Amino acid sequence: MKKLTGFLLAAFVVLTLVACGGAGGTATDSSSTDTSSEASASASASSSAATSETSGSATTADGKYIGVMLSTNVMSLDTDLATDGDSFEVIADCIDGLMQMDEEGAAIPAIAESYDLSDDGLTYTFHLRDAKWSNGDPVTANDFVFAWRRICKNAGEYAYMMDEIGNIKGAAAIVSGDQSDETTLGVEAVDDKTLKVELEVPVSFFPSLMYFPTFYPINEKFYTELEDGTYGTSPDTFLSNGAFLLEDYTPGTASLAVTKNPDYWDAERVKLPGISYQVVGSSDNALTAFKNGTLDVAMISGNQVASAESDSDLSNKLNVTGAGYMWYLTFSQTENNAQNGMLANANLRLAISNSIDREALVDNYVMDGSLATFTAVPPQFAASASTGEDFSADQSKFSDYIGYNVDKAKEYYETAKSELGTDSFTFTMIYGNNEGDEVAKVAQAIKSQVEENLPGVTLNLQPMTKAERLDKMQNDNYDVALTRWGPDYADPMTYLGMWVTNNSNNYGFWSNEEYDKIIADCVTGAYITDYDARWSAMYDAEELVLKEAVIAPLYTKANANLISEGVAGIEFHPVGLNRVYKNATNG
Amino acid sequence: MTKYVLKRIAMALGTLLLITFLLFVLVRIMPGNPFPSERMSAEQIANKRAEMGLDDPILTQVVNYMSKVLRGDFGKGTSLYNGAPIKTVLGQCISNSFRIGGLAILIGTAVGLLLGITAALNKGTFIDGFATVFSIIGVCVPSYIFLIFLQYFFSYRIPFFPYFFDNSRFLFSSIVPSLSLSLFTMSTIARFTRNEMVEVMDSDYVRLAESKGLQGGALVRKHVLRNALIPIVTVLAPLIVDLLTGALVVEKIYGINGIGKLMVDAIAGEGVDYNYVLALGILYSALYIGIMLVVDILYGVLDPRIRVAAKEGGDA
Amino acid sequence: MADTTTPIAAQVALRTDSYTPTPADFEFLTNRDITMDQNFASQSYWKGVAIHFFKNKRAVVGLVIVAVIILLAIFGPLLSSYGYTEIVSATGADGKQVVARGIAPQLPFGQLAGVDHGDLFADKSFLFGTDDLGRDLWTRTWQGARISLIIAFVTIFIDMIIGMSYGLISGYFGGAVDNIMQRIVEIANSIPRLVIVSVLAIFMPKGMGLVIVALLLTEWIGMSKIARAEMLKLKEQEYVLASRTLGAGSFHIIFKQILPNTIGPIITQMMFSIPTAIFTEAFLSFVGVGIVLPDCSIGSLIEAGFNNITTLPYQILPPIIVLALQMLGFNFIGDGFREALAPKLEDM
Repeated sequence: MKKLTGFLLAAFVVLTLVACGGAGGTATDSSSTDTSSEASASASASSSAATSETSGSATTADGKYIGVMLSTNVMSLDTDLATDGDSFEVIADCIDGLMQMDEEGAAIPAIAESYDLSDDGLTYTFHLRDAKWSNGDPVTANDFVFAWRRICKNAGEYAYMMDEIGNIKGAAAIVSGDQSDETTLGVEAVDDKTLKVELEVPVSFFPSLMYFPTFYPINEKFYTELEDGTYGTSPDTFLSNGAFLLEDYTPGTASLAVTKNPDYWDAERVKLPGISYQVVGSSDNALTAFKNGTLDVAMISGNQVASAESDSDLSNKLNVTGAGYMWYLTFSQTENNAQNGMLANANLRLAISNSIDREALVDNYVMDGSLATFTAVPPQFAASASTGEDFSADQSKFSDYIGYNVDKAKEYYETAKSELGTDSFTFTMIYGNNEGDEVAKVAQAIKSQVEENLPGVTLNLQPMTKAERLDKMQNDNYDVALTRWGPDYADPMTYLGMWVTNNSNNYGFWSNEEYDKIIADCVTGAYITDYDARWSAMYDAEELVLKEAVIAPLYTKANANLISEGVAGIEFHPVGLNRVYKNATNG
Repeated sequence: MTKYVLKRIAMALGTLLLITFLLFVLVRIMPGNPFPSERMSAEQIANKRAEMGLDDPILTQVVNYMSKVLRGDFGKGTSLYNGAPIKTVLGQCISNSFRIGGLAILIGTAVGLLLGITAALNKGTFIDGFATVFSIIGVCVPSYIFLIFLQYFFSYRIPFFPYFFDNSRFLFSSIVPSLSLSLFTMSTIARFTRNEMVEVMDSDYVRLAESKGLQGGALVRKHVLRNALIPIVTVLAPLIVDLLTGALVVEKIYGINGIGKLMVDAIAGEGVDYNYVLALGILYSALYIGIMLVVDILYGVLDPRIRVAAKEGGDA
Repeated sequence: MADTTTPIAAQVALRTDSYTPTPADFEFLTNRDITMDQNFASQSYWKGVAIHFFKNKRAVVGLVIVAVIILLAIFGPLLSSYGYTEIVSATGADGKQVVARGIAPQLPFGQLAGVDHGDLFADKSFLFGTDDLGRDLWTRTWQGARISLIIAFVTIFIDMIIGMSYGLISGYFGGAVDNIMQRIVEIANSIPRLVIVSVLAIFMPKGMGLVIVALLLTEWIGMSKIARAEMLKLKEQEYVLASRTLGAGSFHIIFKQILPNTIGPIITQMMFSIPTAIFTEAFLSFVGVGIVLPDCSIGSLIEAGFNNITTLPYQILPPIIVLALQMLGFNFIGDGFREALAPKLEDM
C-alpha cells in the first residue's frame, strides 16, 4: 500500500508543481509591463491574440485587422430579420444601399449615383452606378425591388420602415396582410440602372432612410437558388456589394470577421484590411481585453469608465459618442394598475418626475458620458434642416415642468394627495435585467430618490427580461416602467409619434386630442410642406407631453469607447448605423 | 440482462415523449412573447402567430411538432437567430459545449480521483487536510470567478492562452474554460472518493484482505476502489450532464458559442423562443435520461449484487 | 481486533464473489447483531453521539464558525449605522450630489483599488468598503448571509426529508416502485429549471418564496440519487437480511437499519448541495427570478462584485470569504456528525 501511496503522491505533487510553475512565471513576468503593450502592438485583432506562432489562418496573422467589440450576438445577416444595432452594423459593412452615411450622418450617394424628386415630392427616381455583387453579378434596380417587396411581404419588425415611416405606396396594405400581392408595392425597376419609388405623402427625410439596412438590396437569383432559410447563415450563403466581404460567420457565433472587398465600387477609399468582431458580455472583461490588445475598439460602462478616466494611459483613448436612445419612465394611466389608476393623476406623475436627480444618476451610476435629459425628444440626433440646430439643444426649455426640484415635487405631491384622497402609494417599477449593467443601478437609485423625496410613496422593483417587460407594458400590466427608445431615423417624430392615442408604443395609454391633431398635421397634414412650421409645431406637442409628465425622461445614453492608438476614422452615429468603417485606418 | 437493458431503453423513450409534451405545454404558458416587438402592429403579430400554428389546439401542435422532429426538423427560431434553421445553430453549440465540457469532465474526474485516493490513503495527514480545504474552496468559488482569474493571469498578464475562445485553435483555447469548469467536479469527486474510500478501507472485508497479505495497488483496485466507485458514479452522472450542457457565465466571459448561453438567450433573451427552448429541452432530457441509463447499467457492472437485485426487480 | 472480525469478513468476502449463502452466514450475523444490540442498549445512543461529537476538535471549530456567522448575520447589520439599502451620499464641491460608491476598505497593510472621493467621506468609516451604488458592504454582506443561511437550512431540510427518503424508498423496494419513482426523477430533472421557475413566477411574486419553491422542486434530486445508490449497495447485506428474517417491517429496515449506515455519503452530498443551492439562487437573480433588488443574498453580492472584479476587486471578497467560512464550518460539523454517528469510524 505504501508503494501506491507514494506513486499517487508523486503524481499529485507533479501536477501541483506544474501549476505552481505557471504561477511563479506570472510573478516574474508581470513586473515588466511592456509585455502587454508589445502584445497589443503585434496583436492580430482576431481572438487569436499574442501567440502568433500557433496562429492558423493567414488573415488573422495579418495584424492590421482591427478587433471590434460587439455587445450582443449578431442575430441575423438577413435585412428582413435583423433587429439589433450590432446585426445592422455588420450588414452595413458588407452591403451598400442606395445612400450611405457621411461623417456627420447626412445621406450621400452610394449605389445610387444620383436621384430626382418629382415636384409633388411623391416620386423618387434613383440612378444606379455600376457596382458588383461579390459573385460578379451587377447590382441592378431589380435587386432593390425584390428586397423591398420581401420586407413588406414578410411583415417583420422593421417592415414599418416601409409603410409608417417611408410611406411607400401600397406598403401598408401588404404589411398588414390585406393585400397578398406584393408586386403592388410602389417600387419599380424602370431599367437595370433606374429605380422609381412612389410615396403616399411627401417624406422630407426619405433619402436618409436609404442608408438603413431595411432598404438594402438582395440579389434575387442568388437568393432563390439557396435552400430555404439558409440565406445569410454563412459566408457561402451571403453576397456583398459593399466595402467588406463576410469572411467568417456562423449563426450564434461570438466571433466573426469581415475582410476588405477588392471589387467594391469605392474600394480605394477603404483602408482597413478587415475587422474581427468579438462579442464581449461584460464591461470589466472588455476593459481587460482592450488593455491586452485583443480589442482595438471596446465599449465600456459604469465603473470601468471611471477607472479608465483615472488611468493616464487609457484616458486619452477614451472616446464618448452619443448612442441616441433615451431612457425614460412611463406610467400606466389606466384603472387596471397603480392602485386603481392613481398614476392617471398628472400631479402625482409630475411629483415623481421632479423628485429624480437625473444629474446624480448620470454622474454616479451611468458614468459613460450619458446626458441627463429634460426633454421628451433626446438631444443630439435630429438637427433642423434649415438652421442646423439640434431639436433638443436647449435642455431648460421645459424647466417649468421637469427638473430636480424637491420643493416643487412636494408641492405637486401635496396637490396629488388631496386630489386622490390618500397619502400612501405603493407602486411596482419594472425594468429589464438584460439591458445593460447600469439599468439595475439606475432603478435602485430612482427607488431611493423617490422614496426619500416623497414620503409615503413606495416603489417596489421588479426585474424581468426585456421581452417580458415589453409584454407587460403592451398588455397594460404594470405601474411604472423603466424603458428606452432609440431613434430609427433622424427626425423628432421618431419619438413624438409614440404618444399618439392608441399608438402601440403609447404605454401610458394617454390620450390628448390636441396632441393627436398636431402630430397628424406634421405627418400627413397641414405642415407637411412647411418645414419650419412643422418644426415649431413639434415643440408644442413636446410641451403637452411634459406638462402632464406622460413620461419622465431620464438620460440619453452615450457610448464610451476605448480606441487603440493608431486606429482612426471610425464614424460613430447615434441614429441609423452606429459605427461606419469605410474611412477607418489602422496604424 | 439484455432483456433488462431493452426494457430500460423502451422506458427511457417513453419518458422522453412525456417530457416533450410537458415542455410543450409549459413553454406556452411561460411569460414573455415569441414575437417580442415594439414596431409590429397587433395585426402583424397575429399573422405571424397564425403562420407558426400557435393558434391551433395544443394537441395538434404537439403532433405536428413531433412529426417534424422525428424527421430531424426542429424548425426556426422566432426571436433568436430567426433566419437560420435551429439544427445549424444547435450543431455548432453542441459541438463546442460537448468538447469543452468533455475536457472538463476528464480533468475533473482524473484529478479528483487522484486527489481523493491520495487523501484517503494518507488520512489525517497534511495531504488529507489540504484535500479537504481544496475541495471546500472548489465548491465555494464559482467557476466563472476561477475563469476570470485564469484569464487575467494567463491570457492578460502573461499572454499565453488566447483571451477569447478561438474556434480555429480549438484544443488550445479550450484549456482555460475547461480547467475552470472542472474545478467543481474535481472538488466533488475528490471529497466523495476520499470519504467513500475511508469508509470502505475500514470495512471488515478489506481488513481481511489486508490480513491475508494483500496490499498496495491490488488491494486498492480490487477491493477498495470498486466498492467506493458506486456512489462516485452516482455523483458524477448529473455533473456530466451539467458540464455537457454548458455554463452560461463561462461561455459569456470567454466568448464561447455554447448551449448554456443559447438556453438563457432562448428563455430570457429578446423573447421566449418556443422552438429553441423545446429543442434544447429535448436535448437536455435525452442527455440526462441517456446518462442515467448508462449509470444504471454500470451499477450492474461495478457491483454484482446490484445486478442480481436489478434482475429480480426487472422481473418482478 | 483482527481475531474477532476475520471470520465475518471472510464470509462477506466470500459472498461478494459467489453469492452462495451458507448456514454459517446466519450464525455469525446473529451473533454480531446480538452484540450490537447490547451496545446500543447499554447507553443512550444520542448521548454517545454527542460525546463523540464534542470530543472532535474540528467539529467544535466548525460549530463555532457557524455560530459566529449566524450571530453576525443576526446582529451584524445592527453594528453599522447604515441600512442595507441606504445609499450614502454627500454634496460635492460643485453642489452636485456625490454618492459614496466604490470606497475600498481600510486594511492594515494598505489600500485596495477603489474610487478616490478626496476628503468627502473622510468622516465616515466602512469596514468592508462600499459597493458601486454607495451602500455599506458590511451591512449588505450580513444581510446577504441571512438569506444564504436560510437557503442553506432549507436545502438541508429538502435534502434530508425529501431527497433522502425518496432515494431510500426507491432503492429499497426496487422493481416497479423504483421504476416509477426514477421516471419521476427524470422528468423533474429534465425540464429546464428556468422554464419551471418562469412558469411559477406567474403564480407567485418574485422573491424569497419563489426561490424556496424552486429549490424544493429540484434540489432534492441529487440527494435522492445518492441515497438510492447507497440503498442498492446495502440492501443485500447480511444485517438487512437478518432483520427481515426476524420480521422487521420495510420502513423499520429502511430508516432504522440502513439509514445510519448511509450517513457518510449523505452528509457529504448535503455539504455540496448547499453552495449549489446558493449559486442556484444567484443564477435565478441573474435572470430576474431570484432575490429582488435592493435586497441581496451572498450569491447576488458575488454576482455584483464579479461585474467589477478587476476595477473594484475588494467588492467580491467579503461575500466569497463568508461563503467559504460558512461552508468550512458546515463541512467540519458534517464530518463530526458522520464520525459520531458511525461508531465504527471512531478513533481512526
